[in-house]
Amino acid sequence: MSFLSREATVAKAGFNRWLVPPAAIAVHMCIGEVYGFSVFNVPLTQAGAGWTIPQVGWIYSIALFMLGVSAAVFGKWVERSGPRKTMAASCACFCGGLLISAVGVKLQMLWLLYIGYGFIGGIGLGLGYISPVSTLIKWFPDRPGMSTGMAIMGFGGGALIGAPLGVKLMDHFRSATSVGVAEAFIAMAFLYAVYMLFGALIVRVPPQDWKPEGWEPEKHLKPMMTNANVGVDLAWKTPQFWCLWVVLCMNVSAGIGILGQASKMCSDMFGVSAAVGGGFAGLLSIFNMGGRFVWSSISDYTGRKTVYSIYFILGALLYCAVPWTQHIQHKALFVAVTAIIITMYGGGFATIPAYLRDMFGTYQVGAIHGRLITAWSIAALLGPNLVNYISTAKIEAGVPAAEAYNSTMFIMAGLLVIGLIANLLVRPVDSKYYFTESPKA
Amino acid sequence: MKTIALVIAWMLIAVPLGWGVYQSVQKSMPLFHGQSEPAVQTTQTP
Repeated sequence: MSFLSREATVAKAGFNRWLVPPAAIAVHMCIGEVYGFSVFNVPLTQAGAGWTIPQVGWIYSIALFMLGVSAAVFGKWVERSGPRKTMAASCACFCGGLLISAVGVKLQMLWLLYIGYGFIGGIGLGLGYISPVSTLIKWFPDRPGMSTGMAIMGFGGGALIGAPLGVKLMDHFRSATSVGVAEAFIAMAFLYAVYMLFGALIVRVPPQDWKPEGWEPEKHLKPMMTNANVGVDLAWKTPQFWCLWVVLCMNVSAGIGILGQASKMCSDMFGVSAAVGGGFAGLLSIFNMGGRFVWSSISDYTGRKTVYSIYFILGALLYCAVPWTQHIQHKALFVAVTAIIITMYGGGFATIPAYLRDMFGTYQVGAIHGRLITAWSIAALLGPNLVNYISTAKIEAGVPAAEAYNSTMFIMAGLLVIGLIANLLVRPVDSKYYFTESPKA
Repeated sequence: MKTIALVIAWMLIAVPLGWGVYQSVQKSMPLFHGQSEPAVQTTQTP
């Protein structure tokens, strides 16, 4: 039995389960840095190798692509190996990727950044994303929404930390001969390794058949919740999996459409400066993070189906209200409406693992979550492109910039209606898919 | 001892998260004051 094995992480009697959320958040907080990676784009073009923005943009795209692929491919390995080994592997890939990228910057070899941060680092992202979530669900069967909300809130927080940290490190290391990117990568690799290994060190899995004191699973069953288990290979063949895939894809597509263009959209619609637009984007990031915890926690009381219906119905209404706020030029109302939309976008991310747990049990929920994350990859292409292309086409057709986003808002509302229909189609999983033997934790 | 470990573990993640939120609040200030400062590169969390 090695230190990294699942067996070595089984908690002893008296272990406080509230030590597990910090472990999960520590890992998510680090890998969430990927969304702050854009701060390196311009400095990388100034590193002396003549790289262009589209060329360096591929680093981020490869990393995100690999996040989805590795989560889907390695999901079963993650469940088998346990959280400590997975977190350590995630750390090795993510921080190793940063170090390889630092070498790439120094040697002016862009392909080393594609392989380092993009390919290897991206695998670290996928492993680090699903493992803590799966572990927390097993520790908090009484509050699965709240527990996954905490971890995924950490991912949102990681972006808030990663971008300013990257900027400050580059400022610190900048010299006459260096833009400071390579040095910043090295410093971040060591800093993030400390935090990720801290998470790997303190994480524990519950013993077989553990449950919170005084909590009886049968007494807390809700209509859309099962205590049975479904393996990943069967789960993804069920209609419920694909309904939830559409639910996640539509919710993310709509939210990402606004989030990705927030700064420019605010500037175009209200004629404010780029600094004010940037301020708007910063504010949305905070609501995005907070929504992950708040909505996911609420879902423990309302049920997952109800909370997603709220996301979709309220979200669609609010999207339709955005053009009206522009029409009456009410900036505060616009900010309030979009902030609520973004809380539900974040909430959609955080609530989906708990929804999967309700449908398929805890046995291989991490692996199932890994396969569902492919919906995120599709949404990351769909949402921003819809807003980009439609608003650009409108402006080229002579529509004033301030009104160019209006039709995209109605399209986003339409996406949410599709998500609502998929959500309403979700029914309990047929018992023929249930795992018949008692699964190992 | 267990309580101390718990407090330290939560502090270790609360401090950087709090710093990140503070940085974002600072960044969002122009929205409320309508100042014309140089544009800051934006970060988003899909």
